[in-house]
Amino acid sequence: MIKLENLSVHFGDVQVLQSISLDIPIGSWSCLVGPNGAGKTTLLRTMLGMQPYSGSIQFSGQEIAKNKNLNIAFVPQRPSIPAAMSVAEYVMLGRAKLDGWGKESTKSRTIVHEMLETTQLLGMQSQLVQTLSGGEMQRVLIARALVQEPKIMLLDEPTSALDLHHQISVLNKIEEIKAKGVTIISTMHDITLGAMYAERIIIMQNGRVLLDGESSEVIHSPELRSAFEDRISVHLLDNGRPVIVAAKRD
Amino acid sequence: MPTNQIDRVWRWQITASAAAALLIAGLLAIGFGPVNLNFLAIIKTLLGLPNGLQDQDRTLLLELRLPRVVLGALVGAALATSGAVYQSVFRNPLADPYLLGVASGAGLGATIAITNGAGNLHAFLPLFAFFGGVLAVGATFLVAGKRFADPSTLLLAGIAIGSFATAFQTYLQQRNSAALRPVYSWILGQLTVADWDVVKWAGIYILIALFILIRIAKVLDALMLSDEEAYSLGVSPQKIRLIAVAAATLATATAVSASGLIGFVGIVVPHLVRGLTKRATNRSLLAIAFVGAAFLVIADLGARTLLSPAELPIGVITAFVGAPFFLFVLRARNRGA
Repeated sequence: MIKLENLSVHFGDVQVLQSISLDIPIGSWSCLVGPNGAGKTTLLRTMLGMQPYSGSIQFSGQEIAKNKNLNIAFVPQRPSIPAAMSVAEYVMLGRAKLDGWGKESTKSRTIVHEMLETTQLLGMQSQLVQTLSGGEMQRVLIARALVQEPKIMLLDEPTSALDLHHQISVLNKIEEIKAKGVTIISTMHDITLGAMYAERIIIMQNGRVLLDGESSEVIHSPELRSAFEDRISVHLLDNGRPVIVAAKRD
Repeated sequence: MPTNQIDRVWRWQITASAAAALLIAGLLAIGFGPVNLNFLAIIKTLLGLPNGLQDQDRTLLLELRLPRVVLGALVGAALATSGAVYQSVFRNPLADPYLLGVASGAGLGATIAITNGAGNLHAFLPLFAFFGGVLAVGATFLVAGKRFADPSTLLLAGIAIGSFATAFQTYLQQRNSAALRPVYSWILGQLTVADWDVVKWAGIYILIALFILIRIAKVLDALMLSDEEAYSLGVSPQKIRLIAVAAATLATATAVSASGLIGFVGIVVPHLVRGLTKRATNRSLLAIAFVGAAFLVIADLGARTLLSPAELPIGVITAFVGAPFFLFVLRARNRGA
């Protein structure tokens, strides 16, 4: 269990996260939703241990901030690559924590090879990262996180730069990772897709958690509409799947 | 074998080839000049074997050519390595000691030292230059703010800060007419001043800075990732950035205070090495240092011999090669974006 208790984060005088308490089961996929500025990315950064906080975040009983050996991977929304770097070189960086910086074991090269295969990037390993399409780049970011062999994977808007076809392929990939026992926590703008893949949805607004629970229940809750100021409406398809669309206020 | 498809991130053979290139460049630069020296005799003299160079040739080798080549190599290594490091730290392929305003800031620091009569203290000149350089890179970074990774913002900020430092420097040098000549000859960027005292002090500072940079080279690769990814791999990006910028600025400032303003080495050499090896890793830093040293030693050979017996400022040669190369990088980048 990942246990957040009374977690608060301040940026100067501004309270960005306010007394958040959550229980996240290991091996589950939780999706953070809410409007911009709700504190979703800050929550991810705090769980990574980058952000000073009050309260506690525990993973299997260990405090995250005090345990640098916890293997948590992060997939950013956008890459930041300064130099002409090949796909293989970029993905290999993910092995640094396990191998030590500046070394790469034969095992690491095998794992990089496997993960490139998993993310359908094999054959592109020598290609420069700058020349990739949005979907390919997103898969490179995920492959980089995967070779880290993490227990927890935090993903910040993993599908925001992608068309629908690539969104589905990336989300299916994340689902496979979850099936191997990795706990997934992602933010996602598209609540319909979030509800389709994640079993839990956590609604955030103004640094607070409004509601947290099973996707199928949360999606019909008044809290979800309230977080988006009643500007969304939920419809059910024939097969019972919910679709969330923007609604015009009267 | 599947693993064979994933190439090693770095190979020591590349670094060894770069070291060999520096050796050859050094030997050529020592041998050629207004008076050509015999290579075999040079090697014998340097190794202390019998039948080496005698009399005037010996003095020419040991007191003129050798310190000059060693200083050129040190300055070239310092500029190339710090260029590569700035590019990684600022996540900006066009960052360079010259364009960031660091060199101009260091120049201002050195001018303040010279106009106050500290110009002959080779031990202190680099420190004045260092503080000037730190102020300039700090100012550039502050002005560029969060957009430091955006090439145009960072470069424009660097150009403005650099111009300001240069203007202030010109004001100081005009006000102190006694110091005009030494400051001016130094600004032109020449290695003619090289004697063993200059080499000693420049060597101490530059080698310390390079030692630090090469020690942290592997971890510098973490700065190619977002701060969150770097952190998830156990690296504190802010700390690494601070150490890297301080060491790179010390290297640049010492190079500037020893040999004046020599542009473009910091951009040409890293791009050349990374382009040829098709590798972006900072494990290339030692190779970049060797190639930078070789590049400047050869440029200085050109400066000495092209208009012989007159000398060209070495900055002219590096700009001749570097400016078109810079435009090429700029164009290639715009096409890629």
